[in-house]
Amino acid sequence: MAIASPQQQPQIHRFPQFKYVDGVRWLPPLSAFSRFAVIALFDSDSDSSSIEIHSLTQNPLDIVPHSTWISPSRVSSLKTSQLHRNPLVFASTYTGSLHVLSVEPMEASLDSELSVPEKMLHDGPISCVDVMDGGGECLTVSEDGRVSLVSVGESGLSYRRIFDSNGLVSYNAVKWASPTEFVTGGCGFSLQWWDQRKPGGAVSQFKANWASGIVHCIDIHPSRKHTCLAGGSFGTVFAWDLRSQQQPIILSGLEGSKTSNPSPCESEVWEVHYDPYIKSGNLGGMSSTQILPAMICSEDGILTSIEQGKEPVELLAEPCAINGFDINRQHPSEVICNLEWESVAILSRP
Amino acid sequence: MPGPASDSSPSGALVLSSWEAREVVYPIRHELKPPIARLSISWARGNSFRVSIFTQHPANHTSDSNDGEVGGQVLEVKIRNGDGEISAAEFRRIAYGSVSPFALLQSRKHMVSGLSKMSMGLPRFNPDGWEYLAEYSKDISSVIGNPKLIPSSAIEDPLEILKKVEEPTCLKAAWELMDVFYADKQSHWWLNERLVDWLAEYDSVLSTTQSTIHSKLVDFQKELNNLQVVEDNPRYWDVILSALAVGWQEIVVKMLRLHGSYQLDQLSRRETENGLVEAVAFLISEMPRMRPELDSGKFGQCFKTKPDFTKAWEKWRSKITKLDGSGFWVHCTHVQTRKGLQNMLRIILGDVESLSGATCNWMELYISQLLYVRPFSMGLESMYNLAEKCMQLKPASNTDRLMALIIGILGESPEIVLAECSRGFGPWMATHAMELLIEENDEAETLLHEERHDLGGVSIEELHRLVYAQVLCSHAFTWQIAPIYLTSCAKQGIGFLETLLYSQAVQHNGVLLKNLEICRLYELDSLSSNIMKIAGVYHWKHGRKGCGVFWLKQARDEVRLNKIAQQLFDSVGKSISDESFKQWEGLIELLGSESKNTGGLEFLHKYRDFKKSLHQVHQKGKTTGAAQSAVDSLIALMKNPSTPQRFWLPILNDSLKLIDWHGGPLLNTEQTNLLLNKLQELSMAKLRPDFVESDLPPLALSSIRLALAKNLGRAFLEGC
Repeated sequence: MAIASPQQQPQIHRFPQFKYVDGVRWLPPLSAFSRFAVIALFDSDSDSSSIEIHSLTQNPLDIVPHSTWISPSRVSSLKTSQLHRNPLVFASTYTGSLHVLSVEPMEASLDSELSVPEKMLHDGPISCVDVMDGGGECLTVSEDGRVSLVSVGESGLSYRRIFDSNGLVSYNAVKWASPTEFVTGGCGFSLQWWDQRKPGGAVSQFKANWASGIVHCIDIHPSRKHTCLAGGSFGTVFAWDLRSQQQPIILSGLEGSKTSNPSPCESEVWEVHYDPYIKSGNLGGMSSTQILPAMICSEDGILTSIEQGKEPVELLAEPCAINGFDINRQHPSEVICNLEWESVAILSRP
Repeated sequence: MPGPASDSSPSGALVLSSWEAREVVYPIRHELKPPIARLSISWARGNSFRVSIFTQHPANHTSDSNDGEVGGQVLEVKIRNGDGEISAAEFRRIAYGSVSPFALLQSRKHMVSGLSKMSMGLPRFNPDGWEYLAEYSKDISSVIGNPKLIPSSAIEDPLEILKKVEEPTCLKAAWELMDVFYADKQSHWWLNERLVDWLAEYDSVLSTTQSTIHSKLVDFQKELNNLQVVEDNPRYWDVILSALAVGWQEIVVKMLRLHGSYQLDQLSRRETENGLVEAVAFLISEMPRMRPELDSGKFGQCFKTKPDFTKAWEKWRSKITKLDGSGFWVHCTHVQTRKGLQNMLRIILGDVESLSGATCNWMELYISQLLYVRPFSMGLESMYNLAEKCMQLKPASNTDRLMALIIGILGESPEIVLAECSRGFGPWMATHAMELLIEENDEAETLLHEERHDLGGVSIEELHRLVYAQVLCSHAFTWQIAPIYLTSCAKQGIGFLETLLYSQAVQHNGVLLKNLEICRLYELDSLSSNIMKIAGVYHWKHGRKGCGVFWLKQARDEVRLNKIAQQLFDSVGKSISDESFKQWEGLIELLGSESKNTGGLEFLHKYRDFKKSLHQVHQKGKTTGAAQSAVDSLIALMKNPSTPQRFWLPILNDSLKLIDWHGGPLLNTEQTNLLLNKLQELSMAKLRPDFVESDLPPLALSSIRLALAKNLGRAFLEGC
């Protein structure tokens, strides 16, 4: 694996939280200068969970708790979005409830909360939520095999079940592709493509079964809605193009290392995002089958950027797992990640 | 589930102190009215346990039993040790941080021992061993924490004699002490000065029961702002003498400069006095030190070799003696100043009584003796004797943990040092400090590596690591680092590790996958497949069939997969609703076809195809095309040897409509004969004792026969 040259080496700041970090996200900007991060924490001493907004200060870089909301249960998945210029925080829990917190833009405080209680959406923990860009439509999936849609409206939350596999298929990841389409993923490196205009089941399916692992995360680029990037067990990252259905492009992992590059990691890939910071040589001339650059984090403590046909560039190698990360959309040079050892790391790339 | 515990103490934790006797009574408060009928106590994870309290069940229900207290109460009690210095969260941070240095040191040791095995016969090949150990010690030390200067105003406050720093921890002080003696043996030539530095940094945590020079300074600092004429105050001189005794020269000089004779309006009147003060201050700032360098802001001249140092020391001492005997003292009219300065010179000249008077405990006295009485002693020689003498002069009623550790170190007894590390600072310290003790010390190495019968065949080293690993295992956040320590335990490590991994919860995918990842790292394949089986059964039982089958397949658990397949057989030949047929079909899909041993799966797949096409026939009605494909499925099913005999009749019964097709015969002669033969075989099988009678209506068999015969006839005619 290529190591970034000294000039490209990101600056890394680690912040111990003294609580387990269940998730981190950047908050959509409230003003031009302020930066906020949303952190979901679990305190084992008091057995309590919370979602905190931390504000970032520069020179020296530091994070300071700003506003706190106590969660009834541990947060299993965390997303942020913006609706009518108001930032929203979506959090699902291990007991199956979903909470939508709105952030007061002047004070950057978590002020009001809407929620769907447990057992309404799913039976057991919600494994993943995804919120439509600039909208209040939130998809939730679970291992119980249900896919639900929660909408934030004037009169509160409304929800409906899109599909129920009755436990025959477990879903671990979900991602919107367009206002009507989305993709789910789960056991056996399987992906399902759904279209709300065609109810009753997935429109298209993919199952790889490379020694069988689990898809943990999905990303879809707004400009390439037909391609779905998925990460999962054994360091596997692959792209599934709807137009060439059964021929996935393997970017990393055991299966990929047989043919092309050595894999940057061997363990679970917990999160994958397209990386807007990396400017590919000729973006304009890039064919639409070329996979855009992405970033992954893994159980073996690697945060790395990967690009089709290039050596991965390692950004961070920790002695503990990196359980998730988020790239700041407004300042793509900044990455925040949650580490297994009760801390948060912030990277600033030059 | 019972509600959360209502705490027994405000912090919700009992405080157990290892210093006190074992039998101590701690009250647990609960809100139940007596009489209490039953108590039940059970251990929970880590250092907590649950106490369930049940009230007396009312004997007669006519009494007021509806006051809501019939049940009882469950209290969760957490025990923490008496070390209030480091919180549980801070301890976890230290535990996380020390993993990498520990693992790095182990791998380097492995490499070195591998190299020395290769170069057998050659003297011990360990060129960089010291560097590794020193690096390890520094890494661990920085994990425990670096005291930070609390930012003060840019302009220096002349009255601030003590720099404000964050209070160091006792643990850090202990580790630094170990570092001075064991890790950095390259610096042993200036051991005395390192101890002086150590005391300067950690005097504040030296004792919890006795006062220290640091605490005296802190007290005086508070007073200082209210003092008009400092030199009239006996405490001023007292504090100066103390600081001088332990070599805090920059503080001494700073305090001397507060002397009233420096003030411009007094300078002319107190010229001699001021000259003496300045002379003493100057001499103190010129003190020769046997050390490579001094931090900026500290006073003294550094010497790296003993002859140079001895020469400079003698010269400096002669200056002091000269000043001591000078005639100026007579002209010094301020009594306190004269006495104070002369007492200072006495300390510098090594007067034991003065040193003893200026210090608060034996450790400070010991350091002062190293500075002024025995400046030339090097290394550990006769250090213990000196310490013993100091202890006699300043006996301590209560042994603080740091002092106990120092006594052990000076006594050069690794056993005591380790025992004090463990007793005073816990399993973390014992485990990590052991590495420092063992290096290049054969006595310690034998002692710690020897397998002990009374410890169940493990060595002391392994015992301490196991104990520390147990501490890590007891917390949901730290169990993942326990394997690092367990795998360095040759005898019992793997056994403990397997127990640990087995006991982790499988409910959440995250934890499960982290657990399996550890199995993969340490190549515990059979354990990993067992954990997958547990996960599989768990998910199956909770209705997540997809997940369940996935994990069972990952574990290659043919037995359970077979059982699931057998359950599917129960639906064969029965009429089931559309919804359950979908479920049934989905399950067959899940089980897949790649596994060959999964008995009867081939049959199930064929049966599913048959059922599906039959379904279409029933739905779409009378199209001959659909019926023909159903017949093909039927024949494939009946031809296949894997189709169990007991299903023959039900299948044929299902297909009555096909056999007796209204639009003409669907089966040709050959196919009809095949089915008739099967019927024949069945009637023969009836005679066997293990035959299972199907629960079809009695007329079913004859109607099948009739239909088949009818079809055969029609097929003949068609064939002609």
